[in-house]
Amino acid sequence: MNQMPMTSENVTTMPTKNTKITARDVQVYYGDTHAIKDVDVDIEDRTVTAFIGPSGCGKSTFLRCLNRMNDTIDICRVEGAIKIDNEDIYDKKVDPVQLRAKVGMVFQKPNPFPKSIYDNIAYGPRIHGLAKSKADLDEIVEKSLRRGAIWDEVKDRLHAPGTGLSGGQQQRLCIARAVATEPEVLLMDEPCSALDPIATDQVEDLIDELRSQYSVVIVTHSMQQAARVSQKTAFFHLGNLVEYGETDQIFTNPKDPRTESYISGRIG
Amino acid sequence: MTDVTNTPVPSGPEKSRGSSLYALDKRTKRRNAAEARFKAYGIAAVCVGLAFLVILLVSIVRNGIPAFTQTFVELPIYLNEEKLDPDGNRDPAAMSKVSTFGYNPLIEDALVQLMADNGIETDMDGPTLRKMLSSSVPAQVRDYTLANPDQVGETVTFRVLASSRVDGYMKGRVQREDLERDKNLDAAHLDIVDQLVDAGAVERTFNWAFITGADASESRPEQAGIGVSMIGSFFMMIVVLVLALPIGVAASIYLEEFAAKNRFTDLIEVNISNLAAVPSIVFGILGLAVFIQFGGLPQSAPLVGGLVLTLMTLPTIIISTRASLKAVPPSIRDAALGVGASKTQAVFHHVLPLAMPGILTGTIIGLAQALGETAPLLLIGMVGYIATNYPEGIVDGFLAPNSAMPAQIYEWAKRADPAYYERAWGGIIVLLLFLMTMNIIAIILRRRFERRW
Ligand SMILES: Nc1ncnc2c1ncn2[C@@H]1O[C@H](COP(=O)(O)OP(=O)(O)O)[C@@H](O)[C@H]1O
Ligand SMILES: [Mg+2]
Repeated sequence: MNQMPMTSENVTTMPTKNTKITARDVQVYYGDTHAIKDVDVDIEDRTVTAFIGPSGCGKSTFLRCLNRMNDTIDICRVEGAIKIDNEDIYDKKVDPVQLRAKVGMVFQKPNPFPKSIYDNIAYGPRIHGLAKSKADLDEIVEKSLRRGAIWDEVKDRLHAPGTGLSGGQQQRLCIARAVATEPEVLLMDEPCSALDPIATDQVEDLIDELRSQYSVVIVTHSMQQAARVSQKTAFFHLGNLVEYGETDQIFTNPKDPRTESYISGRIG
Repeated sequence: MTDVTNTPVPSGPEKSRGSSLYALDKRTKRRNAAEARFKAYGIAAVCVGLAFLVILLVSIVRNGIPAFTQTFVELPIYLNEEKLDPDGNRDPAAMSKVSTFGYNPLIEDALVQLMADNGIETDMDGPTLRKMLSSSVPAQVRDYTLANPDQVGETVTFRVLASSRVDGYMKGRVQREDLERDKNLDAAHLDIVDQLVDAGAVERTFNWAFITGADASESRPEQAGIGVSMIGSFFMMIVVLVLALPIGVAASIYLEEFAAKNRFTDLIEVNISNLAAVPSIVFGILGLAVFIQFGGLPQSAPLVGGLVLTLMTLPTIIISTRASLKAVPPSIRDAALGVGASKTQAVFHHVLPLAMPGILTGTIIGLAQALGETAPLLLIGMVGYIATNYPEGIVDGFLAPNSAMPAQIYEWAKRADPAYYERAWGGIIVLLLFLMTMNIIAIILRRRFERRW
């Protein structure tokens, strides 16, 4: 890691950040199961925000609310208000398809399309009409692969299948695919849980770089990872957002006893 | 986490300590024996299956191959002008007044001449000799004469079908003692046949007419072919493919990817599975009632057969399509939705191409089933229909009465003459070749579309 977790002094010296996402009083139900309860949170722009908590506490569920991926689950119901740049993403006028171009997502298991590396990246820009010509598209592909920190490894085999890459490369390809549609927010659901330590390291470095342009929200089950890559941390427990604050403060000086027990390994 | 470290690690059973790895204990031995036994069962099962397959194939080939050859006689016939065109002006209308019966004397004379030319001594007269030939010969000669009036007055060498008894003798199916009480042929005829074979005037060769020809009447098995009913099957398969594939795939995509999962869709799902198990004859009577009696479509038409088989094939296609859609990993859908594809885009750009091999395989298997199906055709009049004419065009192909390959085979097997029994086996070979071709196409398509992820 070239960048160690921020200290609180560091944060204050940085320019004040805008709030990108605000969630108020969010409830999520799967049928009768109440999976997310009364969650209020403000997620900042150009910041890595980590969601931690024991498994089944609702981290993924809440993350998937932010780009309305939960719409694809029939029994899932979301209540409350979630705004991105002060626009309610659950408003009737909002088309989830447009939202998802703005809020990219990277999944737990690397899931490249069974197509060429080039087509993996080009798919999003194509369906959103971001490229006017082949040259445009080539440029977007190169730029995205560079942002995904994988350009050097694949530039000679852009037309080889994306599924032929190693796990870590596939995940960086997926990140590149997500940034190709010019999103403003990047959601990552345990992006390193299927990767070996070296690949994890590379992806973490990448996340740190992405912070300069995007608001990154990452779900992780590894507290070390949260501490390494994030500036803000939210601790979820049984569907509640128990504590939210500077990563440093959460790990060194948690206010809630539940956070403390989790961090010291007593729950989870 | 913390609690676990405090509890003592339970120690294993003391006796396992110090035992040798070389000595198999009782439990391991029993387990290995069970495994060996199971393997033996498996191999035995596979062998039994293979044995049945081999028996089946051998008997099909042995019984069916003779149907592909036929005995022909090289017969020079003098086209007697006095009999065929007494006026001598080659007027087609006048010439066609001479019926097929009018040609019999020419053929009889030609046979007597053939005996004389080859030095075969016999006391049989012309009509008796003619029993060696198929009763289709006069029509063949007449057709030729009407088409080539300028040949009248000449001697033309025809290649004519031998009668089915002579053909059976050439194939070893008919022996001299079989003919003792047969009014169609005598043992003496066979002596003549032997001599004609030596003289090169009778030979058994490959018979394209069996593959391309039409069905014939009960008394002329030597003339019957499966070609016209093949056309019937072909038009039915077109109907099935054009209707069942798009309807089936669209229905499956909707049910699998778009429809809400509720009681109603569950009900539909159960019913589709049930439909797949409905006996095919039920679809036949449904087709009779709906398409023929209510819809007013013609009887015995391949269009109706195709519609009935579509109903029958739809569940197969829907079930296999849904299974292959289900087999596409959900992560691919997530990936597409995650970059902002709409549901339709996700399905058509990513899910469907991945499911394609399965869909195609299912469709081709459905088609193959439909191709071999006989029972529903029974009820819409395609079984028992004697398919003697080629359809005159595409529309006629769908609407004119016809038979289908399995129906034709059933029809032949039903007829008394053993020569037809042989043709039924031959028809089965043709049908199986079609099925094999379809399966090979399925495999090739599957290979071509297959993608790994
Ligand atoms: N598709 C679903 N259908 C029903 N319940 C679900 C579904 N996904 C998650 N849940 C439930 O919601 C709760 C939170 O799950 P999740 O958000 O996946 O937790 P986490 O990501 O923190 O491990 C769990 O109790 C889980 O059982
Ligand atoms: Mg999760």
